[in-house]
Amino acid sequence: MKAPDETEALPSSPIAKTRLYLVFTMFAVGFIYVALGLVFRQLWQSGDLKAQYETQSRRVVLRPPSRGVVYDRNGYVLVENRIRWTIKADLLALQPEIHRRYLWLIKSERARGAPVEHEKLQEKARVDVLQGWLDRVWYVIDEAQHGRPAVAGKPRSVQPTDEPERRVNPDELKKHLRERRALPYTLVTDLAFPGTTRALKPEQGQRTIARFIDQFPVNGPISLESDIVRSYPQGTLAAHVLGYVKDTEDLPEKVNELADLPLDNLQKLHYTGKTGATGIEQTYDRILCGSSGWELWTKTSSGYNKELIASKPAQQGSNVTLSLDRDIQCAAERALAQIKDTKGELLPAAAVMLDVNTGEILAMASQPTFDPNKLSDRVTRVYYAEIEERKGWMNRAIQGLYPPGSTFKLITAIAGMRNQVIDWDDILDCGPSYRVGGREFPEHDPAGYGQVNLEKMLAVSCNVWNYMVGLRVGPERLAKEARRFGLDTPLLTHVPDADNSSQFELPSPSSRTLVIPDAAYKKRIGAGAWTDGDTANTSIGQGYILTTPLHMACVAASIARGETRTTPAIIHDPGRDGRHVGAEPIGLTEPQLTALRGGMELCVSEGTARSVRIPELPFAAKTGTSEYFKNGEKAHLAWIVGYAPADNPVVAFCVLVEGQLDTSTWGGKTAGPVARDMITTWSRKADAPQGVEPASDCQRK
Amino acid sequence: MDKNRQGATASYVVLVVCVVLWMVLPAAVHRFTQEAFAEFQAPALHLAGKGRDLARYWELKSRDKEEILAASRDLARANAALELQLRRYDDVRKENLRLREMLRYNPPGDFLTVVARVAVRDSTTWWQRIVIRKGSDDGVRAGCPVIFSDRVVGKVAVAHHTTSEVDLITSPSFRCTAFLEGDEANRIVLVTGSPGRGLAAGRAKVSAIPQDYFHPVGSAPKVVTTGLGGIYPAGLVLGNLDGAERTSQDGNFKEAGLSPTRDLFSLQEVTVLVPKYPSAGELLLEDQARKRLDELR
Amino acid sequence: MFWTWFILLLATLPCLWLADLASDALASHSLVLFVSGAAIVAPCRRLKRWQAVLFATGVGFLFEARRPIPAGTLAFLLAGMSIFLTSNRLLLRNTPLVLRGALICNTLACTAWFTSAALRSGSWVANEPGHFLQQLLLQVSFAALLALVVFIPLALIQDATMDRAGIPPALDSP
Repeated sequence: MKAPDETEALPSSPIAKTRLYLVFTMFAVGFIYVALGLVFRQLWQSGDLKAQYETQSRRVVLRPPSRGVVYDRNGYVLVENRIRWTIKADLLALQPEIHRRYLWLIKSERARGAPVEHEKLQEKARVDVLQGWLDRVWYVIDEAQHGRPAVAGKPRSVQPTDEPERRVNPDELKKHLRERRALPYTLVTDLAFPGTTRALKPEQGQRTIARFIDQFPVNGPISLESDIVRSYPQGTLAAHVLGYVKDTEDLPEKVNELADLPLDNLQKLHYTGKTGATGIEQTYDRILCGSSGWELWTKTSSGYNKELIASKPAQQGSNVTLSLDRDIQCAAERALAQIKDTKGELLPAAAVMLDVNTGEILAMASQPTFDPNKLSDRVTRVYYAEIEERKGWMNRAIQGLYPPGSTFKLITAIAGMRNQVIDWDDILDCGPSYRVGGREFPEHDPAGYGQVNLEKMLAVSCNVWNYMVGLRVGPERLAKEARRFGLDTPLLTHVPDADNSSQFELPSPSSRTLVIPDAAYKKRIGAGAWTDGDTANTSIGQGYILTTPLHMACVAASIARGETRTTPAIIHDPGRDGRHVGAEPIGLTEPQLTALRGGMELCVSEGTARSVRIPELPFAAKTGTSEYFKNGEKAHLAWIVGYAPADNPVVAFCVLVEGQLDTSTWGGKTAGPVARDMITTWSRKADAPQGVEPASDCQRK
Repeated sequence: MDKNRQGATASYVVLVVCVVLWMVLPAAVHRFTQEAFAEFQAPALHLAGKGRDLARYWELKSRDKEEILAASRDLARANAALELQLRRYDDVRKENLRLREMLRYNPPGDFLTVVARVAVRDSTTWWQRIVIRKGSDDGVRAGCPVIFSDRVVGKVAVAHHTTSEVDLITSPSFRCTAFLEGDEANRIVLVTGSPGRGLAAGRAKVSAIPQDYFHPVGSAPKVVTTGLGGIYPAGLVLGNLDGAERTSQDGNFKEAGLSPTRDLFSLQEVTVLVPKYPSAGELLLEDQARKRLDELR
Repeated sequence: MFWTWFILLLATLPCLWLADLASDALASHSLVLFVSGAAIVAPCRRLKRWQAVLFATGVGFLFEARRPIPAGTLAFLLAGMSIFLTSNRLLLRNTPLVLRGALICNTLACTAWFTSAALRSGSWVANEPGHFLQQLLLQVSFAALLALVVFIPLALIQDATMDRAGIPPALDSP
């Protein structure tokens, strides 16, 4: 090739120049495009991009508030918050150790000649390392419980490792990594009570915590976190009233402070909070729950928390003071626990005590019961099933619907006198049975009671007297009288501050399930026309009639005050004025009312309740033994309602015991002792000089 | 200049290789290296301590007779007062023994005491340490509590053969449980070291104070060890609560400052309490002990 | 001579201990007087590279031995610095330049140990970056000041030792 040819080939020719310009132009366009793109992104889109960056790189962590404390009327703590020490493993800090273990596992797999499954080995490495640390924690726990190891350097006994809380659960760990990678993994939920299978004494719990804190390194990958859990220091006391709490992801939020952030788009991370599941914990949840705290974090690309930008502490919920009196409640529960059937099993039962004047509930017990402490954290399925099997969830004092039996005779008597079919001093001749519509209605004493007036009727609980009076009054007027005393009206309604005004203060039956039978009712349920037999049955509190122990306690309180209605209350309010919703004067003349009350006093002094007489404290009561069918077999319900003291009533009560497939349960004999114990405890407290606390058997457990 | 640069790249490469090698080497090698260099310096530390003692000796020697006479007179008075107190304590001790016998209570006082002079102090924001002139040869082990009369000074962090490093209670790596004076329920609180700001000395912090604890008015309540952790005997003084309690960040507890009862950096002599039996933590955090545990299982 | 670096290390030790003793006096102010960075500069002007590296590593490990710092951090950093210095001896050709070198080395090394100690000491460092920076600044300024004050006597001792050991003087010495 010659040199001149080469010079010709240089881009001096017009065609080549055009090409060059084309290339330049293309570059220029490209450059301008990039520049404009950058300008667009920087100037126009920067706001959006920044917002996007912030939402992607930040997260809000919500911290649950601690709930309010529940006190009894004298200021004793019924529900509080206990410090719980949780042991957590920081997975980020453990990463090098996990990686080492992973490499070691790969090596050993290869040595065995097995195919290497990386993902599986990684998982195994993670579980192994966490298990190693869990073992160490458990070693400390065991050592704290058993004291110093017998031989220096060796644990006294090798603990069984098959308990679930001693093993790292691979599925749980996987779930944790999937859902809460940023939070540390929980190794031991409650250091003071590490296993659910065994109860620890408080000192042992403290020792475990102290051992861990003093002996584990501060900057290790295992950290100690403390939080607050719900604690019921009195154990099972008033469990049905107090209820228990369950986990919730739905925290009470008041995060207005974060208003300037695009909160909806931000990733939100919740710690698990608590919400009431039943009882006061549920119905007063809005008051007890408080408001959540929050933390705004930046996060690393792998999703761990990096830097705390802002935060606000959670706010504890408000406290609630219940009308319950710890000591009376305790006496009631202890007395109920004495009632057993022939096989030694606890009989289902309920007891209520009210303040006659204010209607405040001083005690409300239901048996069988449960320990809310065991339910406030992770509920074990076994315990749940156990309560279910014993039918322990039901608060029999307000949820149990029973025929009131002879205690209803008070209403029959009042109806008779108010409708002038009988007077207080009228005497009826009562034989061993009474014939109504071709059927003999028996007296419970085969000999009959002979000449019976109102007082004697209440003392001996004469049935025939009531059949006669009931039939004279008639079913409609009898039902009207029962309704006048509110036996079909739901109680404990209206929670202050609640959205829903129909809510109950405690889970109670609605008006549909409380039954005051009349002709219309019988027709509605398709049981045919009303007969005189139904009236006779109703007059002694049997048949279709269904009510609750709390209702009957209210009837007793109303009679004690000479009114028709008592509005019970579970919240203590020193300013309660004793006015009751829908209450009107009882409508009896003075001699009639005196005779009615006298009959109830006679019932205790020499009648069906004489076995529980308290010589130094006369009280008034009416017992009842109604029949009901349990699993197709006849059984007895034992009732006692009344008030004390007889001359100046302050407290009213009602006790009910469900007999189990036998008929050895009687009002005075079975339910009476519970009432007596409640009254004695109340009177001991009432008689104690001002400011002096009488010795209480009911101490913190 | 060229000669200088020769092989520089190779040197860097070798260095990087060494660093990588160092990182993958087992922790025991790191510990050994560290230990070797520490032992190498130990004589110097002893020398420094001895020098300090000597200086103190000469300082005392240079005092005039009048001064010494006055001092010995004061000492005699103090002695007499202490003698009286000692007698009273003797009665209390007997009473205590009698009560213990009644309750069949065996005190967990299984400690050997090792008295040690302070060699040198070393502190930054991240650690507050003193080096003492007793080490594993004298029975000192890592994790042993270090006290001065009835006050906690800290905890042995590392025990070399003839010297030991002690983490003071103001050190961020120090943590122990405590009870607060005036808390009748004896609830556990946490004492941790916290670094000082600027040129201020390190401090300690009391956390996990229950919300319903209020300290007695007009006094700084004592913070004492619980004796539950298996390391510190019960009732040793950690310091006094310093200032009012504030609500902690999570809102569950309160926290407050802790001022140590003595200037920890002016101590000349301390006592190491060596438990007769190693604690669980001590055993478990050592790899060998962990292996032993595995074997047991 | 093979052991020159070790002899030099022994000669430097008293100076390092003196710094430790001075730290002791300042202990209640949470300050460590750090001279290890400055101590490697003078030997790097004269020792062979491998000897300088061994010397620097030794100095690093001596500092780390009694302090909770991730093992090897300072030692390897000083080793790296010594490689750099021995390869660029022109940067240390006269007194002002040597002083500058000591200052930079001491400051860098101080930053390194302080940061690594902070990282080692726990998670709260991340929560209080302001406090960390403040303390770092304080520590580093002390280290810089100390490098200027201590370097000349330190270098005199080290040079005298190297003269005794028959190490040829630095080529570009002023």
